[in-house]
Amino acid sequence: MRRGFDVLLAVATGLALAFLLLPMLALFLRISPAELVDALTSEVALDALWVSLKTGLIAHAFVLLVGTPAAYFLAMKRFRGRDVLVTLVELPLVLPPAVAGIALLTLFGQQGLLGQTLDAFGIQIPLTQTAVVLAVIFVAAPFYIRQGIASFEAVDPALTDASRTLGAGPARTFRRIALPLASSGLGAGSVLAWARGTGEFGATIMFAGSLQGVTQTMPLAIYAQLGLNQDVAIAIGALLVLVSVTVLLSVKLLPSWTRFTSASLIRSAPSGSS
Amino acid sequence: MRRSAWLLAVALLAASCGSDDEPESADAGGLTVFAAASLAEVFEQLAPEATFNFAGSDELATQIREGAPADVYAAAGPRYANELASEGFLDAPRVFATNRLVLIVPADNPAGIESVEDLGGEGVKLVIGAEGVPVGDYTRSVLETMGAEDVLDNVVSNEEDVKGVLGKVVSGDADAGFVYVTDSIAARDEVRAIELPVQPLVEYPIGIVKDSERYEAAEALIELVLGEKGRQALEEAGFGLP
Repeated sequence: MRRGFDVLLAVATGLALAFLLLPMLALFLRISPAELVDALTSEVALDALWVSLKTGLIAHAFVLLVGTPAAYFLAMKRFRGRDVLVTLVELPLVLPPAVAGIALLTLFGQQGLLGQTLDAFGIQIPLTQTAVVLAVIFVAAPFYIRQGIASFEAVDPALTDASRTLGAGPARTFRRIALPLASSGLGAGSVLAWARGTGEFGATIMFAGSLQGVTQTMPLAIYAQLGLNQDVAIAIGALLVLVSVTVLLSVKLLPSWTRFTSASLIRSAPSGSS
Repeated sequence: MRRSAWLLAVALLAASCGSDDEPESADAGGLTVFAAASLAEVFEQLAPEATFNFAGSDELATQIREGAPADVYAAAGPRYANELASEGFLDAPRVFATNRLVLIVPADNPAGIESVEDLGGEGVKLVIGAEGVPVGDYTRSVLETMGAEDVLDNVVSNEEDVKGVLGKVVSGDADAGFVYVTDSIAARDEVRAIELPVQPLVEYPIGIVKDSERYEAAEALIELVLGEKGRQALEEAGFGLP
């Protein structure tokens, strides 16, 4: 009886794994490595790669620059309504991408809340590369901020208190104590945010449109090439699988790597600051 | 104990979902119709009980090749229907409607577009169908015939189906777009249509997907579309009749 149950669990696990992995395997079996390289060096694929990389890097810079202090603030300060704020920051995590797209349009679009005002200044955001960046920030930032809050909260208050007692200002304490100690978690959040941003599709196609070399990111290029040149669509898909594998591995490996470096940092910190 | 019972229930549920697909889709009944996005209004009115997949004709053709469970395919151009027929995926497609291409602008026409020539103006944001999508290919051929290909420099987005073009002009985020006259009629409150001096031949073929398990029902639907009721609905929506 007990054995039968174990078998059942093993079968369920096998089914789940097969279902999750076979589609990705099929992607690689569909075209030969030579065709893959050929398709990836096509103009459409290279343009998409460039657009994804450029918009991704700009968006990521904003996510890190604004997200890190925001996460620190939300992690360290205790005030009324803090839980509500944290929940609101997390909302885009569970929001369907299409809703993100229409929401961005109703804010920045021609008939949007800010659209008319921006238009008066000669700024038009929809259907531009800026729109891609905004869409990526919108969907990816919560991944980073959420992880950042958890990482800063995990920093031992005794260490930050000690830093303050020893005369370091709040900015210095943040830079020298909290930031290094939270770095492994922040790194993982950063990688996850990057992955989500790279995969962004729904909000982008609605808010930014699809123009090769300008707004057509890799996921959009897959969609556009599906009926036109399927090899290219499959090749970009395969590339994104490899990117995802890298992301996953780095998230899994990053903590053990930084745990080592931050541990040595704690040990050296007192002697360094004295 | 309670926990293992719960796990068992989940496992059983997962196992039963894995094998019971067939009867469930049969229960849903009705036909699955893959149709060009421009046909959405008319087809939903003609066969409200059917299940529809409206998208770009090229994308639908790809899905049918990959074995998507379609019974009927209706495209906004002969190219993909003929390709599917010659590859053995589709039975003898028949033309049931024609359409015309128009230039549309938002009702308040912020860029002051009155003709195709105006599209070349500085900063005009033009949205058209992507290459390979029928409406996109028709647009390019019209511009080519008119010798106005340079306006393509002002394209800010290549949309995957005609509704994508329409949506971005309706919202005012694009200054102009090329759609079928039927789409411009469906959205006449929000957009203004400008007639084109040149017209491509836009023919809509419809056929039965070879693997269909509801061949007779599919035939009946095609007869309906080709028949009096279908012709009337198509005409009301602004389609031409073959």
